[in-house]
Amino acid sequence: MINPKDAHIKPQPTPDADSQTYWHGIQEGKLLLQHCPACGHVQFYQQAICRECGSERLEHRAASGRAKVHSFSVVHRAPGPAFKQDTPYAVLLVELEEGPRMISAFVGADPSVVTFDMAVELVCEPVDGGVALPRFRAAGLQA
Amino acid sequence: MVSIKSISSTHSLRGKTAIIGAGISAVGRVPGKSALALAADAAGKALADAGIGKHEVDGVLSSSAFASPFHRFSVAFSEYLGIQPTFSNTLQVSGATAATMFNIAAAAIAGGLAETVLVVGGDSLLTGLSPDLALRSMTESRDQQYEMPFGIPVANTFAMTAHRHMKEFGTTSEQFAKVAVIHRDHARRTPGAQMTGPLTVDDVLNSGWVTTPYHKLDCSLISDGAAAFIVTSAERAKALRIAKPIYILGGGECYTHEHIFLMPSLTTTGAVQSSAKAYAMAGCGPKDIDVAGVYDCFTGTVIMMLEDLGFCPKGEGGRFIEDGQITYGGAIPCNTHGGLLSFAHSGMPGSLFHFYEVVNQLRGSCGERQVAGAELGLVHSLGAGFATNATTILGTEATL
Repeated sequence: MINPKDAHIKPQPTPDADSQTYWHGIQEGKLLLQHCPACGHVQFYQQAICRECGSERLEHRAASGRAKVHSFSVVHRAPGPAFKQDTPYAVLLVELEEGPRMISAFVGADPSVVTFDMAVELVCEPVDGGVALPRFRAAGLQA
Repeated sequence: MVSIKSISSTHSLRGKTAIIGAGISAVGRVPGKSALALAADAAGKALADAGIGKHEVDGVLSSSAFASPFHRFSVAFSEYLGIQPTFSNTLQVSGATAATMFNIAAAAIAGGLAETVLVVGGDSLLTGLSPDLALRSMTESRDQQYEMPFGIPVANTFAMTAHRHMKEFGTTSEQFAKVAVIHRDHARRTPGAQMTGPLTVDDVLNSGWVTTPYHKLDCSLISDGAAAFIVTSAERAKALRIAKPIYILGGGECYTHEHIFLMPSLTTTGAVQSSAKAYAMAGCGPKDIDVAGVYDCFTGTVIMMLEDLGFCPKGEGGRFIEDGQITYGGAIPCNTHGGLLSFAHSGMPGSLFHFYEVVNQLRGSCGERQVAGAELGLVHSLGAGFATNATTILGTEATL
């Protein structure tokens, strides 16, 4: 059942049994990827098994935080009231230096500067008084 | 182009079942009707169209509804209609649900789980929910950990694929807009369509951004509406002396990812595999299809699907649109009712309207919208940022 009062609250990630370590890492400013020693696969997001070979022996390693924009879309009409005050904002589909892709948001500059293949870097900061989220800004701004 | 391999006839559903009845409710703004009431209205029309009573239905397959959020919509619907089927399920693979219902109905009938299946879907997204909640209801289908916290509407997943298509193949905003214009032209000939005013490419380009590269008029509608179909065995269709049964010739599905960031390629989708399976089962290829229903949640979606369904080469969808190939006189008339962009889009049932139109095209009952000589039709349903893809191929008796 959809509760109208919930439409105004920004959704916060709720870690599950697979993702506790990941979200703990984000709060400490680290984007943890899973590396599979058995087959060499690197994966995002965190889960109990390697998506390539099924191994349960996965190692968490912090990503470099360097990425490039694979695709993006600047949102002008928010998905509900919770995001209305943020528009326009750029949702990014970034490709991490280590290979995996992830969805994120662009911060630190006007969304109109975002382009394909643009170099971006990780920023982990609390959002609207909630938990930290892994977001990205243009690379090299504070080199 | 997809290569066609024949599938062992013992495992094929080709021609074993047929659609013998089809009905739709009023669509668009239909206030004061619950999703169940809309679905019951469509079901009544489908039963009347088939000339059978509700107690001759022993199976019910449905999509779910945001406005009537029963966990088991198909079961709630059966109670509402006053029947007690011995086969039922509520399917949920987002926008692809429509075609999966036909594929599964055909398999259930061929496998003996049911003899006559009512396929039904209805929702009232326009008047049953506030616009913000309707949008929210769609965004809640995205993952709460890795997608939703970034404010990603479902439109945004499709927008990122379209954006990438522009970068890789030079597809233009004008080509996207032309998709909307063609759909509007089609809807203007369709009685009861939600949007029937004239529309130009400039109107689309000036309609304001929703999520780049999509403008408001690149996006499909939010509607109320329901559709229902009666599917039965070919033998039963014959025994009932159905004038023009429309046979299910092939079906295929493909699920490539859940999260948009794990989509293998943003510009080539699981529609390649789902349609290849459907073509192989039906024993035909894209060039043989006379009329199509192609899921059109956004304008760019149509361009990508024309490529992945094999109607034009990869990367040439934009030019295919410019050349008028998806309307009358073109290579493959698509969505002659106006589609989700201009006829109606009541959520998961939306693609059932494509089925309703293609069935009527194959029956030759589309009046001024009729595609001359339509014998073989394809419907492709998809959803969730191309996570889900399902294709169904339909044909007249002449195609058996």
